[in-house]
Amino acid sequence: MADSIEYCKIGEFKPMDLLAAAAAREVCDGDVVFAGTGLPMLAIALAQKEQAPSAVCIYEAGSIDGRPLDIPTSVGDARCAYQASKASGLFEAFYGQLHAGYVDLGFLGGAEIDKYGNVNCTVIGDYNHPIKRFTGSGGNSDICSFAKRTVFIMVQEKRRFKEHVDYITSPGWRIKKWPSGEWASKQEVYGSYFKGGVSAVITDMAVFRFDDTGEMYLDTVHPGFTVQDVIDNVGFTLNVSRVSGTTLPPTKKQIELLYHTIDPEGIFLP
Amino acid sequence: MSQPKKITLKEAGALVHDGDQITFSGFTIWRRPVALCYELIRQGKKDLHLFEVQGGYHSDLLIGAGCVKIWEGAWMGQEMLGKIGENLARKQIAGEILVDDYSHGHTAGRLMAGALGLPFFPCALAMGTDIFNPEYDQLAKAGLRDGKHPKIPAQKYVMAADPFFGRSECILLPAVNPDVALVYAPLVGDEGTVRVLSQSYNDAEVIKASKTVIVICEEIVPDSYLRADPTANLASGYEIDYIVECPWAAHPTGSQFYYDADATFLKEYNRNVRSQESFDAFAQEWIFGVDCHEEYLEKLGVGRLEELRASQVMGYSTHLKRGKR
Repeated sequence: MADSIEYCKIGEFKPMDLLAAAAAREVCDGDVVFAGTGLPMLAIALAQKEQAPSAVCIYEAGSIDGRPLDIPTSVGDARCAYQASKASGLFEAFYGQLHAGYVDLGFLGGAEIDKYGNVNCTVIGDYNHPIKRFTGSGGNSDICSFAKRTVFIMVQEKRRFKEHVDYITSPGWRIKKWPSGEWASKQEVYGSYFKGGVSAVITDMAVFRFDDTGEMYLDTVHPGFTVQDVIDNVGFTLNVSRVSGTTLPPTKKQIELLYHTIDPEGIFLP
Repeated sequence: MSQPKKITLKEAGALVHDGDQITFSGFTIWRRPVALCYELIRQGKKDLHLFEVQGGYHSDLLIGAGCVKIWEGAWMGQEMLGKIGENLARKQIAGEILVDDYSHGHTAGRLMAGALGLPFFPCALAMGTDIFNPEYDQLAKAGLRDGKHPKIPAQKYVMAADPFFGRSECILLPAVNPDVALVYAPLVGDEGTVRVLSQSYNDAEVIKASKTVIVICEEIVPDSYLRADPTANLASGYEIDYIVECPWAAHPTGSQFYYDADATFLKEYNRNVRSQESFDAFAQEWIFGVDCHEEYLEKLGVGRLEELRASQVMGYSTHLKRGKR
């Protein structure tokens, strides 16, 4: 069947379509996926219709392995619980599933990220005197701390890819050991609870991954962008020595699925 | 074993006292006790201490109206309908409220310990994050962790060794036992049995952890109807203290199998409350400008409510225009 895959050319897809397709590729068949609202919902639905039909989706409000007919706009939505194996609550999602070690993949967003994959979705500025307040963690830090792999979907901007984030909401590969505050590896801080960590960051320009030392490197650049474009939109010295090529564009079949089956109402897609 | 007492919305509001620690049922924009929060604002409550697994429209309102002194929670916003909680953001930036951030796992664990009568909850979630940075412990900085404030634990957390199996250190988080739980549930029996019709969120723990429990419901039904299927129920009547019957009490948040979340209302709210003046104008129109809940529903109008009404088969509105197509 491989020869029947037809990829879209530049101009035949929108940035959002490529993000959804790239995120969907991170899902392996059989994965238990813990996803947030928005793009992650498109990605998991797309993956389930293609390479990962037996992937399972958990939403933090308590729906376990739901099979929504209509795409939800909230993780607490009745749509998430349609045909679910269980409609439980947050305690089951965060302890019965996540802390218990069932979750393979987390899909999250964030406002800022550093080169170790530490993510901020709490405040800009000093926490005690912030200049901007976001939502706060919600399940972001829990999922990122306990899923075997976590993928962040973010906007590519220099002010968002920072040497140090203003507040570490979600733990990357080098974090602080509290209450002392000394820097340590995630493996050291989590010890016997360690299960994995941030595996990829997907933006509107590129896909990033992490090396054995937990440092971010540029993996692929989306069609229409250059390595230099990415460097210009990152606020720290980016490792570009391991670029593997151009991000695969979405296929014609993926576009068909996204616009006609997954989000026909145009809730997330333009 | 005593059965809950049926009271009015105004009487329910009077059960919350200035300075109380309160918590809520629901999740973000679902099954929130909104009509009761409107009533707290009309009654001019002050210095409330909110502990919530996460916030939403109901608590952002209370903060905007100046009812809240302390907010402990993991998240505040309206999901896709307005990314952040505008009132919490404005008050935190202005230094007008004490804020203590956690993760969902932490707030869910603290509440579970409170519900079970345990002193603390152990977990290993979100270690290594600024949630545990002592510099950001605003309740300590305000001198409130001195043991003289019964609802404020002496420490935000402690790290503890595993005394049994020698596993790595984990976090102990203090239990929380609020003064009052404000709960919305679609169905309550006449003897107080509570049923919700979809995800249970943290509602059972909210009920069990709190000293006084008020449930505001869509309809009171014969308890025998709920007892015919006991596996579907959330709480027993003796765990509940007061019941208020109040159709559409969760609007603009949703209640599965009754009505969808009112996306238009929530989006407009978030756009319209970015300054204190604009919040005050919103409160004047929708809270102080209506005498009672029935007047609020009349102001919303039959057409709008009919559009939100959920399918009895699917649990959500199947005729609501949600997207761009």
